[in-house]
Amino acid sequence: MNYENLYSSLSLIQPEITISVFLLLIVVADLIFDKNKALIPFLALAGLIIASVQVILQVTNTGYAFPFSDVYLSRKGMVTVDAFGAFFKLIIIISSFILVYFSYVSDEIKKSEKNLGEYYALIFGMILGMFFLSSASDLILIYVALELLSLSSYVLAGFSKLRTRNSEASLKYLIYGATSSGLMLFGISIFYGLSGTTNLYEINTFLASHQINHLTLSFASILIFAGIGYKISSVPFHFWTPDVYEGAPISITAYLSVASKAAGFALLVRFIKSAFVTSDDSLGYWEILSVFDWHSLLILVSILTMTLGNLTALWQNNIKRMLAYSSIAHAGYMLLGVAVLSNQGLVAVLIYFFFYLFMNLGAFFIVMLIANKTGSEEIDDYNGLGYTSPFLGVALTLFMVALIGLPPTAGFIGKLYLFIALVDAQMITVAIIALLNTVIALYYYIRVLKHMFLTKSTVETQTVSVIRPNIIFIIFMLAPVLIFGVYFGPVVDFAKRCVQILGL
Amino acid sequence: MEGFPIISLITFIPVIGMLVILFLPKEKVQNIKITALAATLIQLVLSVILMANYNYSAGGIFEESSFQFIDKFRWINIEGLSWIGTVKIDYFMGVDGISMPMVLLTSIISVIACISSWNISKSLKGYFALFLLLDTGMMGVFVSLDFFLFYVFWELMLLPMYFLIGIWGGPRKEYAAIKFFLYTLLGSIFILIVMLGLYFSAMEILPDGQRVFTFNILTMMDQSNYTQDGILSPFNPNNWRMLAYIALFIGFAIKIPMFPFHTWLPDAHVEAPTPISVILAGVLLKMGTYGILRISYPIFPDITRELAWYIALFGAVNIIYGAFVALAQKDFKKLIAYSSVSHMGYVLLGMASLTTAGINGAILQMFNHGTITAMLFLIVGVVYDRAHTRGLNDFGGLASQMPVYTGFVTVAFFAAIGLPSLSGFISEALVFIGAFHVESIRVITIISTLGILLGAGYMLWAMQRVFFGKLNEKWSGLQDLEMREYIMFIPLTIIIILLGVYPSLMLDVMNTSVNTLVDFVSTNFTNISLGGL
Amino acid sequence: MLTEFGKIFIFILLAVVFVPLIVYVAKFIRPARPTKEKLKIYECGENPEGSPWIKFNIRFYVIALIFLIFDVEVVLLFPWALTYQDFGFYGFMVGIIFLLILGLGMAYEWRKGDLEWERPKPIPPILDDEPPAENEELKEESLTI
Repeated sequence: MNYENLYSSLSLIQPEITISVFLLLIVVADLIFDKNKALIPFLALAGLIIASVQVILQVTNTGYAFPFSDVYLSRKGMVTVDAFGAFFKLIIIISSFILVYFSYVSDEIKKSEKNLGEYYALIFGMILGMFFLSSASDLILIYVALELLSLSSYVLAGFSKLRTRNSEASLKYLIYGATSSGLMLFGISIFYGLSGTTNLYEINTFLASHQINHLTLSFASILIFAGIGYKISSVPFHFWTPDVYEGAPISITAYLSVASKAAGFALLVRFIKSAFVTSDDSLGYWEILSVFDWHSLLILVSILTMTLGNLTALWQNNIKRMLAYSSIAHAGYMLLGVAVLSNQGLVAVLIYFFFYLFMNLGAFFIVMLIANKTGSEEIDDYNGLGYTSPFLGVALTLFMVALIGLPPTAGFIGKLYLFIALVDAQMITVAIIALLNTVIALYYYIRVLKHMFLTKSTVETQTVSVIRPNIIFIIFMLAPVLIFGVYFGPVVDFAKRCVQILGL
Repeated sequence: MEGFPIISLITFIPVIGMLVILFLPKEKVQNIKITALAATLIQLVLSVILMANYNYSAGGIFEESSFQFIDKFRWINIEGLSWIGTVKIDYFMGVDGISMPMVLLTSIISVIACISSWNISKSLKGYFALFLLLDTGMMGVFVSLDFFLFYVFWELMLLPMYFLIGIWGGPRKEYAAIKFFLYTLLGSIFILIVMLGLYFSAMEILPDGQRVFTFNILTMMDQSNYTQDGILSPFNPNNWRMLAYIALFIGFAIKIPMFPFHTWLPDAHVEAPTPISVILAGVLLKMGTYGILRISYPIFPDITRELAWYIALFGAVNIIYGAFVALAQKDFKKLIAYSSVSHMGYVLLGMASLTTAGINGAILQMFNHGTITAMLFLIVGVVYDRAHTRGLNDFGGLASQMPVYTGFVTVAFFAAIGLPSLSGFISEALVFIGAFHVESIRVITIISTLGILLGAGYMLWAMQRVFFGKLNEKWSGLQDLEMREYIMFIPLTIIIILLGVYPSLMLDVMNTSVNTLVDFVSTNFTNISLGGL
Repeated sequence: MLTEFGKIFIFILLAVVFVPLIVYVAKFIRPARPTKEKLKIYECGENPEGSPWIKFNIRFYVIALIFLIFDVEVVLLFPWALTYQDFGFYGFMVGIIFLLILGLGMAYEWRKGDLEWERPKPIPPILDDEPPAENEELKEESLTI
């Protein structure tokens, strides 16, 4: 065994190590300062800051960790550290920062302050799982990371225990999660049986050089897609989403809708790219092995996902449920970017995700502020909010407009790049279906605005003022949504740097 | 005027006004109103300055050098990699003979609508902020020469309009607002998809010799800029140009609104508050026809020639259908709304003729319809403010009660009918002259003239029901016009009469550009196979 | 010719058929002499009492979990013990870190009182599913969130 390898490998997974160390520190701090939990959020922040610096360094500092050079000539390993993974880790880190503030403000979390240590420890467990998911290139590691992420999120979904819906969310999440990760494990075992390896790069080499039964392989691929599809809540693995999103504490709902989805997308793209793609052509299209028709599967799933998500969202009266279905629809749009199977499509997905992070978390934050005060998440209770609290009303309007994808907000740029990729790939029909979906989506987002501004409240209301830190935080979330809507060059540039997946 | 970004200033002065309003406290009602009025007035003054400095002999349309008051700089500049092209988007604005009348129209109507908004009392701050944002959106559409910029402005208008109808509108405001929003967004997505298709078909040559895809509308007009295999490239034997043209046309037609897509208009008009109806009819409808002239015609001249007959047909349907439906209305505002549908049909008919006279008439009709219908909606607003009803049959004999008002009404109604010496006559006559000249649509034109007859019918009938006959005792307390209303009516009346007796004032502005456009459409993009469809 | 997957399919098919078949066959060949004792539920010789569907004390699960954790520890420590000398000090430290993390888990349980059988009576969380119809705070002059 080669020690150099081990040391260089460890230096490549620095962010993961930092997160693990801080996970332990949080538990220790929780044990030592049993009575006073005020320190823990700051400890979490410190860990996130260190990890974020290390992640940013990963954009340029790339390589393979834990290679098995003894066995094969290839230097490819279990963990692939590249700019692509770093981008998603950055998304996860940013949403974690936001989550810390979320939890700090959230009433639901405040009521269970006794368990704050466990809360942050579990969140760090999630982060660790997501980090590994975004850079794992070995099926076993992928599975372990997925389970780490899932187990932490099951507990977090039922964390506040203030309502019966909470436990329902947790249990539903667990049952669906167990089923789909079981399916995924079955898929992994078939892959292992076929190729004799769990490493994605070796599977790629194997698939390219051997004749294999396409039926078996398709079956296994679909099984693995079931596990991933569950994480990104694509149809038909989306059934848990509305119930879990509605039942879980809002901070966790928001986090699940962005961070855990990001990890799922990172995994999906890396799995397809590393195991099935042989090379990029000069225009950035992937030369995909003809063993499995990912293109058709992804198009079908994405169209179903966005259409079903949008159509179901139309009938929701609970805003968290509505946002849950809208997040299913957004997953559909992003899957479409993957379905193009080109670097352009990938750029679109990255850009979309970056903007989606701000607009979705921003919308959830305002929903949480309102729920903190009124205890209600029904859209009907938003009547007249635009007059009692103009700031919240306008901010939520802007987030909703961004989620619809109207210019001049960042949401439009995300959609624009997606459609650019689709049109470039001559997938016009699909693009039109996606665009028609945008029109459907308009209706339910606008409904919230209608209730805030157009419908007068029946009960007497009075002005609601927002404390300054919350105003600053909302402005901080709004700024990227508006600024990148008119000047998106830097984000696109950055996303373009980050689509390079190692290993071709 | 060199170096002074007058076009950008005209476009963005309302946004500056909006920001000022947002920082004013809610209680300072008067200051808010004055700020809004000041912003629109400055816009008007700048537009007049623009007009005064306008060079009548420059053609515009497809040549950047003959556009005037150009503001252009690189807005987005993303360097490409081997697999992804460089993305360059220009901030590119300028005017030519087609957009100049529209710029003037927008600024006039904005000032009038702003004055007309004086009586709004509910959430004044929000109202004027949204109003000014809407103004910027409209103005931006008329001056943008980059498709991306055009689209951003096009969409920018939707949200303010939704709120303006939805918050300050009538009893069925929520329905009307969402219907407007859904319809126009549906139209926009067609425009978006064609925009992206064009983006991947036309390439601009940068000064350093690099060829990049572009959103520049002028570049898309030049056949030599198209790639060999772009989906909307005329060189591609399997191109989608016909489909793209239809999609783009539907996108614009929803805004006009053209016959099967017009159902949002009566709802929106009836529910919107008076100033917003004025904006809607005065400016927004023109954006559809303007878009066709600015984008569809020069970018797809081949398909335009192919489909001109159908455009004329839809124009005729609009004229006749709108007129018949207007005849059946009992609501004053709905009557005006359907008369708009009918009058926009003339614009379509004139455009479809592809002759100088016809297109001149169409653009002049856009301008005239803007001013006349704005006045008609103000007229409805005046009577609605006083009587709180709009039923045509509820009134009668108002002429004796409100003589001055009736005077203005007569001018506006006769202008809408197309009485000679009022502006509506000139433009309708030009449209018919142009359209009659073209053999293929002659029959359609002849049938369309029926619209004038019907127009006279519903207008005069409405006039008779409201203003003549015996005075309904209920309305004996109605006051005649007040100062603020004079300020709105007099300028519009002057414009209507002035353009009726001296139309060259406006025709000279557009003539060179229209000639260029007609020439461009009838000669360019020849020898193109229309494969694919 | 069967594909690889076809063989698996036949195997699955066989498995599905086999179980009911054997049960059915057994029914024919076994002698059937039921007594009262035989018909009772078999529970390690004890006489069953009451329904087996009762709630077990949650502490049994906690103990089982702790047991499981240290069970897994053994799985890792055996192979580690065989080879750690090849890795020198580094390999030794890996094992120590692993044990420290496990120890932290132990400390956590201890500190949280999960090892004490006699725990103070836990207070069930108060559910606030139904937000009060008349929110008291809403009556105040202005709200701050």
